[in-house]
Amino acid sequence: MAFNVTRMLAAGALALGLGVVGLSTAASAQDADWNKVIEEAKKEGKVSLYTSTLGAPFHLDIIKAFKAKYGITIELLDVRASELDERVRTEQASQRYNADVVQHGSSSLRLYQRDGKLQPRGNTPNMKNLRDALKSQADADRTPSYILPYGILVNTDLVKPADEPKSWLDLLDPKWKGKIISDDFRAVGGGFTWFTATDEYMGVPDFHQKLSQQGIVFSRDVGNDERRVARGEYPLRIPQLASNYLRMKGLPVKLIFPKEGISYVRFDLGIVKNAPHPNAAKLMIDFYLSEEAQLIYANAGMAPVINLDPKKVNEDARAMSEAKLLGTTNPDTQEAQLAKAKELYK
Amino acid sequence: MTSATAASAGFDGRKLSTQAALARLSRNFTLASLIVLLVFLSLYPLGMLFYGSVHSTPPGEPGAFNLEGYRDMATWENASILANTVGIAFLNTSTSMITAIFMAWIVARTDTPGSRKFEVLLTLPFFIPPILTAMAWGMLGNEKQGALNLFFQWMTGTTYAPLNVYSYGGVIWHMSQYSITFLFLLTVDAFRAMDPSLEEAAQMSGASRWKVFFKTTLMLMMPVLSSAFVLSFIRGIEAFESALFFGTPAGIKVITTTIFDSITQRATPQYQYATSLAFSVMALMFFLIIIQWHITRGKSYQTVTGKGYQPRVVKLGKWKWATFAFLALFFFVTTILPVAQLLIGSMFKFMGFYKLNMLTLEHYDNVWKHGELWRSIYNTLVLGLVGATATMALGTVVAYVTVRTRWRGRKLVEGLAWLPWMMPGVVMGVGLLWAFAFLPRSIPLYGTIWALMVAYLALGLPLSTRIMSGSYAQLSYDLEECSRVHGASFLQTLLRILVALSWPAFAVGWVLTFFGILRELSASILLYSVGSEVLSVELYKLWTNGQPEEVSVVGLMLVLLVIVFRWVQIRFLNRRISAI
Repeated sequence: MAFNVTRMLAAGALALGLGVVGLSTAASAQDADWNKVIEEAKKEGKVSLYTSTLGAPFHLDIIKAFKAKYGITIELLDVRASELDERVRTEQASQRYNADVVQHGSSSLRLYQRDGKLQPRGNTPNMKNLRDALKSQADADRTPSYILPYGILVNTDLVKPADEPKSWLDLLDPKWKGKIISDDFRAVGGGFTWFTATDEYMGVPDFHQKLSQQGIVFSRDVGNDERRVARGEYPLRIPQLASNYLRMKGLPVKLIFPKEGISYVRFDLGIVKNAPHPNAAKLMIDFYLSEEAQLIYANAGMAPVINLDPKKVNEDARAMSEAKLLGTTNPDTQEAQLAKAKELYK
Repeated sequence: MTSATAASAGFDGRKLSTQAALARLSRNFTLASLIVLLVFLSLYPLGMLFYGSVHSTPPGEPGAFNLEGYRDMATWENASILANTVGIAFLNTSTSMITAIFMAWIVARTDTPGSRKFEVLLTLPFFIPPILTAMAWGMLGNEKQGALNLFFQWMTGTTYAPLNVYSYGGVIWHMSQYSITFLFLLTVDAFRAMDPSLEEAAQMSGASRWKVFFKTTLMLMMPVLSSAFVLSFIRGIEAFESALFFGTPAGIKVITTTIFDSITQRATPQYQYATSLAFSVMALMFFLIIIQWHITRGKSYQTVTGKGYQPRVVKLGKWKWATFAFLALFFFVTTILPVAQLLIGSMFKFMGFYKLNMLTLEHYDNVWKHGELWRSIYNTLVLGLVGATATMALGTVVAYVTVRTRWRGRKLVEGLAWLPWMMPGVVMGVGLLWAFAFLPRSIPLYGTIWALMVAYLALGLPLSTRIMSGSYAQLSYDLEECSRVHGASFLQTLLRILVALSWPAFAVGWVLTFFGILRELSASILLYSVGSEVLSVELYKLWTNGQPEEVSVVGLMLVLLVIVFRWVQIRFLNRRISAI
């Protein structure tokens, strides 16, 4: 058989050409699909978002930005985690489909997924923006939206810079005995998340055995506890929500991220089964992965879930968006860990 | 007798029997509609909760009937928590009752200077949101940096800190701020509605002044006092915030924090456990109410008769300055100290950091510009005004039926109206959510502002009924009969005798219900929907987001609102209405 380079090249070019055409047809088909989603979303006109981050001001900023871009209203209903669960469950059980999207801790949303309360999101253009580490964790139903980092709050009048804890292990120093106020480890919340992270991921098996001898004072009054540290009642508080710390500028406090990394809660978005506005829900989720939305989160003290240029984040919030993450709660070990915390910290 | 008169007598007889039949029919109809309404408001949500307690899953989920919730909650740990709770509630209610009775007596029956003004001022702590007074007392009485401890140390030159609010004492102290004023509000008008002739008779028979007070005055007030005690004691068992804020750091557990934990602080909410525990406590509380029924049963406590209605004022002589000092001290400690903290704190960038360069009005500006907050204030005021009026109106009817009639079924009505009081708010809220969501589609209540209105009606009814019953028990029947004999219609009698004479109680009940609605969080947060946001939820949001200064601004606005309401009521409405 004669080897005809020209013919080969021509065939190759044709194949390549066809491939490109094919690809671009696929891409344009995708664009067309997405444009249809946008069009349908605009017809739906609104989307109802249930969130368990109660009253956070950044919600409203993102809602405004979404409205400005697409003219679609996000109707926000923010309640506490347990109330969110029961409302969604009751609405689904009584077939009153009011919610479109739920924003909730990723572990809790995994339980929604298990119980068949979510429907697939489908592919959206901004999904590609997700940080590499998170791409594998975003499944068909759950989309990461932001990460809530927690650190140690230190009273700078009472603690000299040299004495500041640099590692979680520093909390075991006898000088902190009776001096640490903490969100309760024995109940689901920030304190328990920190307990799990340090117990499961730090690689120091007897850390909590020792810490339980430190006379930690538990409290549930988050709003007041950080102020008690600022006023000098306690030199240290764990774990301190980074976003609330940003609102304490001017007080004698400092937020520290120990070297092992910090505990965090990732908040995911999920479309609720039988959502009345499915297209607007999809568009909203896509918007939450845009740089515009993620910058709002980052500037409010959250860690973004997309690859975001740190220089674009306000200086005082930059450390939070770059914080090293240690661990979070795990739905599979949650009950056992709660029992362990109760046992250790009687 | 001629045949004509016999015929007319027969006609009259028929007419009378038709009238009687009509009256019976309308009575039965009234009673039946009342029972249906009360069943919907109280038995239906409680029934949903009861289902939750005997079913392995909450309503709407496949599962099986079992008693595991009851089995799981019957532990020694819970028994000791219950004993702890009852101890705290009993200690709080009894000390509060003594203080409240003493203050009510001073205000209503003595010539202590300024007592009318104190009547408004003493009650202010009741109307400040508990999270704010908890914060204020945390700042005043914490062991390490508390202002009162620092003041003591400065005065004495020692390092000893006498106060620590994070303790049993602190929990009871914070609870008592609310129970003393609550009990005072419930009892002060009963002291006024006192027939002086009964006390004079006791004195003429040789009883000493103290004996008259204990054996006559207090005994005559038994319906009001015992029902106030029971109301406050049950509320003490259900108390939540004080134990959560001041008890948790000291390791103090109560029943409501245990219930709250099992719902909110577990990986999966344990509704079966929570409702079983709540029903068991409810059964215990029902005993209390039965005891109270027994104490007051079959006796007459009528002090407001047609004869004379001007209670005797005790002239205290120079002792009036001692009673004045007592009221002033109470007002200073329970109101001035915390409210001053809030007022000063709200004018600085951060509460507790009082430097001149931190002086600011930005929190007032933030509140002023907070659109969502104002929308919730508008919603809440509408809900409060309509809700409190509707609740008091229904409470008046229920109280009338249970106290002033001999209708069969009135005990059922009374029992139904009591029930919601015995269920802790955090559980009752879930019951209402389930009840409204599982209604037939043709009743579009869920997800509307009406769901909140109906919930507030259910939650407020026990108090409104108790207040009106206590007041009606003091009114003599002769007033009603006299009015009817003189040709007044039923409506005129109701208005001129039963409304006008029990107006002070109605007004107090209205204010308590109104502010109860403003403060209600547990049911509101489960039932509010987009567009029907309410103040308590918005305040809670500000609080959790580290904005206590803004919450203080709203708290101060509420205090102002109370002063205006009470002033209008005492200065204007009381006179107008008693003149009907």
